[in-house]
Amino acid sequence: MDSWVIAMMLGASLFLGAIALAAFLWGIKNGQFDDETKMMNQVQYDDEHELNDAANQQRKKEEYRPE
Amino acid sequence: MSKVKCDHCHLEFSDDVMIHDGEYRFCCNGCRGIFHLLKDEGLESFYSKMGDTTLAPPTEQFEASTNFDTPAFHERFVTTTNEGLSQVSLVIEGIHCAACVWLNEKALHKMDGVIEAHINYTNNKARITWNSQTLQLSAIIDMIRAIGYNAFPYDASLQEIRANKERKEYYLRMAVATFATMNMMWIAVAQYAGYFSGITQEIKTILNIAEWVLATPVLFYSGWIFYRGAYYGLRNKSITMDLLVVTGSSLAYLYSIYITVFEKGEAYFDSVAMIITFVLFGKFLEVLSRKNAADTLDIIGKHIPREVSIVDGESIRSVDVNEVKEGDVIVIRSGERSAIDGEVISGEGSFDESNLTGESEPIFKRIGDKIISGTTSIDALIHYRATKDFAHSTLSNLVNLLENAMAQKPSIEQLANRLSQHFSSTILFLAIATFWTWYFWPHSFDRSLMVGISVIIIACPCALALATPVATLVGLALGAKRGILFKSAAQIETMAKATMVVLDKTGTITQGRPEVVYTTIHEPFDAGALHTLVSSSKHPISRGVMEYLDRTEASIDAASIEEAREIPARGMLGRHNGSMIAGGNALLMEELGLSVDSVSDKSLFYYAVDNRLVATYELRDLPKEKAYESIASLKKSNLRVVMLTGDHDLAANRVAKEVGIDEVHAHLTPEGKAAFIDQAHSEGHIVVMAGDGVNDLLALAASDIAIAMGNGSDIAIEVSDVVLMNDSLTSLAEAFGISRKTYGLIKQNLGISLVYNSITIPLAMMGYVIPLIAAISMSFSSLLVVGNSMRVRWMYK
Repeated sequence: MDSWVIAMMLGASLFLGAIALAAFLWGIKNGQFDDETKMMNQVQYDDEHELNDAANQQRKKEEYRPE
Repeated sequence: MSKVKCDHCHLEFSDDVMIHDGEYRFCCNGCRGIFHLLKDEGLESFYSKMGDTTLAPPTEQFEASTNFDTPAFHERFVTTTNEGLSQVSLVIEGIHCAACVWLNEKALHKMDGVIEAHINYTNNKARITWNSQTLQLSAIIDMIRAIGYNAFPYDASLQEIRANKERKEYYLRMAVATFATMNMMWIAVAQYAGYFSGITQEIKTILNIAEWVLATPVLFYSGWIFYRGAYYGLRNKSITMDLLVVTGSSLAYLYSIYITVFEKGEAYFDSVAMIITFVLFGKFLEVLSRKNAADTLDIIGKHIPREVSIVDGESIRSVDVNEVKEGDVIVIRSGERSAIDGEVISGEGSFDESNLTGESEPIFKRIGDKIISGTTSIDALIHYRATKDFAHSTLSNLVNLLENAMAQKPSIEQLANRLSQHFSSTILFLAIATFWTWYFWPHSFDRSLMVGISVIIIACPCALALATPVATLVGLALGAKRGILFKSAAQIETMAKATMVVLDKTGTITQGRPEVVYTTIHEPFDAGALHTLVSSSKHPISRGVMEYLDRTEASIDAASIEEAREIPARGMLGRHNGSMIAGGNALLMEELGLSVDSVSDKSLFYYAVDNRLVATYELRDLPKEKAYESIASLKKSNLRVVMLTGDHDLAANRVAKEVGIDEVHAHLTPEGKAAFIDQAHSEGHIVVMAGDGVNDLLALAASDIAIAMGNGSDIAIEVSDVVLMNDSLTSLAEAFGISRKTYGLIKQNLGISLVYNSITIPLAMMGYVIPLIAAISMSFSSLLVVGNSMRVRWMYK
């Protein structure tokens, strides 16, 4: 019984940690840490406009399909 | 009058000079244009994001942006992505703040054909992906200019891209390894606590399974590099460090699974993760400092002109260099580099041949003279007939020779590599021997297996793997602080083993430009007039005289000279206050009817007023500061110092005597220099070559270590392994000092880890190693090595 508590806690904490790691890896792959100065300033630019802009860019990319 | 801020650039000016535009104020029309453009585009929030920073007011003059649409430009700078989109790398000029980055990205994103624009704030480099079918690159450039910035292309070289990719891959693997190892440590704390104070088997199994889960990605994802390395090593029939790491950690991993499943003994998952993580960090340090020879050749290729202008009947058109045939008439303008050998048929002017011959003085070319490819026209507009096609011209020959030389560049085997090979095979042998001895002694199978594995684990490759990278990193940092850039870490060791230094004369030992060393004043004269006269010429001799006057004359009044003109290969003439003034060489003086004594091993500059000689300046290329001391210190460290030059014997010998070099070889062609180095190789020397020009390229490529001066030609810097940023010979001597020190450090580190292993391995073979000791020894040996390297760093400060 006691040991199941430990197993559960271990599993839960490792799972949470793994999620954070996955997010970090995704960030590296995405190039979010390539430019340290820009990264620090990024917080100033995340209002609605930026979201729309990012969405537009995404759409543009998807619209372009070579024949 | 109060100061008012310009609404675009935020610089302050007094109100009456500003352009009033309704409620807005602008310092210039450029700012007003940009302000309205941003407002129309809905980008005015730029100004609130900008905060307190000010911008530089926009400049109006740019080269035509249509240059960006030419096929030549595209071939060189534009790449095509897999999806068929075009991609270009630009450097954006005028970025002051994060808001500027935002504005540029935003403005570009608004353009229809732009798929992606990414600007790096740290280095102002932008990568733009766009659809070339709907949008011209010039339109993109125009947009960047319209909002007040400028862009110019740069080559995102293959090397840079590849290095970034490799680094990113390592980051990912290291992130996983670090995460797993750190989590494993706190599980290990529970394990060790249990080891000493008792633990139920049930809990132990749970902890083991958690470690198993964590160790798996470390071994198979982060450790994949080592599996790959071991595989390639085996294919080349060599036992590498990777193989040792892989066998040790894989065996420990499998054994630990066995322990976990059958619930007996201690698992070693934490050791698996630790080994992989430590060695991965060591390997990463190595990757950080490595360069690729193939990429160098790409860059050299880019320095060759791709197009030349040829005369086609009445018109002049650009053609690809490969299409030029023998007999075609080529036009070369001032500042252009020739790509093809030929013979002048009309026009005259000076050519800079220092690239190829090392001769520092420009050569005057007239009808009938030969043009060598690779030389640059200084002031000449010349028509010349091609006597060879591109493939047979001097420049492409040189590049071919260079390619061969780079491919055959000798590689000195690195101490750590050699050592780790022996080390790896010894350890593997010992481990197998231990296993069989224990098994037949007789012990149970798993006890024997465990002892055998413990030998591999305790023979901790971490310290050995860290020994070289940590030491070289210290060496690289020490060098960088003194303006000595080692391009690749492995070069430090080769340099430390060098037995011979070969130095080029012009630009390496000497300053590369003539200086006035002796003055004879025959009659008093107006220095201002002479200063104005010489400053009108770009010839190195005139420059030397001008610098001398700047240095020695207390005050120089600019004098007005009428009818100033330059007579090629002679000097300058002019009229000042009604009298005729002339400055130039003996030929000019003779033409003016003056007889001068022109026998000297130096360059002489005469100055005459109204056909009377008033002053003589002797100029020559002086050795650099502290050249003598630096060369003495090179000699003291048991290096054979040799000087090579394309210059004539007299000049070479004098410089050699001045700086204390006994061995001089003058009159050498670029090929001759390289041949000399090959000769030295065959005598068993490890050769370091220092040079700065294109004429040294072959020799640089042939040498074991090529050192370039920071202000040398781009190609020389590209070919070289070490760059001396401050051009001084003192740093050359220092570079040797640092490399020897670093090599000593590498040897010490390797020694430490070997001594360490020779103590722990016998213990492991006797079966005394419990998991606790294994874990402690692992970290301890690595800490010793890192600590030892740091010690040198502090000492050398």
